[in-house]
Amino acid sequence: MKQFTHLLTDPVGLHARPAGQLAKLAAGFACNIRLATPENEADAKRILAVMKLAAKQNTPLTITCEGIDEEMAAAAISEFLAANL
Amino acid sequence: MEWLGKLFKNDGYRLSAPAAGKAVSVTAVKDETFSTEILGKGIAIVPESNRIVAPCDAVVDLMFDTGHAVSLKANFGAEVLIHVGLDTVNLKGKHFTVHTKTGDVVKEGQLLIEFDRAAIAAEGYDTVTPMVICNSDEFKTITPHIGTVVAEGEPVMTLKK
Repeated sequence: MKQFTHLLTDPVGLHARPAGQLAKLAAGFACNIRLATPENEADAKRILAVMKLAAKQNTPLTITCEGIDEEMAAAAISEFLAANL
Repeated sequence: MEWLGKLFKNDGYRLSAPAAGKAVSVTAVKDETFSTEILGKGIAIVPESNRIVAPCDAVVDLMFDTGHAVSLKANFGAEVLIHVGLDTVNLKGKHFTVHTKTGDVVKEGQLLIEFDRAAIAAEGYDTVTPMVICNSDEFKTITPHIGTVVAEGEPVMTLKK
């Protein structure tokens, strides 16, 4: 299992566009990927579930990857979050 | 439930126009999140009114607190996202009035959001309104009906399981 936390810095948070991009990226990996805010949790591969987190700026987002390609998935998601959110 | 679909042959599910206006291809929307169908297949409406209504009987899955977008879980299973204008998240709720909330059960045609189209355009935003199916993978075909000016409630999309 690979787990890390990213603090959202984007002023409008995890809105539709990044949620869609993130879900698409996550769907490309075989492992199970979960996103969690202090209040909620979602399957990173389901766009609406990710949007429904309604994660705002300054929310710590915890990402958990579990499965065969967890290392690659965690690296790719970490890179995406750093670049976009 | 695959056998149910086979047992009761149907000619698909319909979504009606969430807004009055011109129905255009979602691939023509000037935002690659929508045009490349990252969020799912769909359609877009160039609105000619200030109202967003439910395209089908559904439950409001998420009313964005900014009122610029709403997602619905249709009774037939589609996850429908209606996004009013492009980049309008940045308006932080300005020019939008919400009329339903997350968890509400809504009927086709029920008012969801009102928006001030002229004011949004005046601030430099494109008011084109994509309506996309976030669980597109769960449908065999999703056919948008584009190229015409539609009234609220006219069919704009047919989905088949």
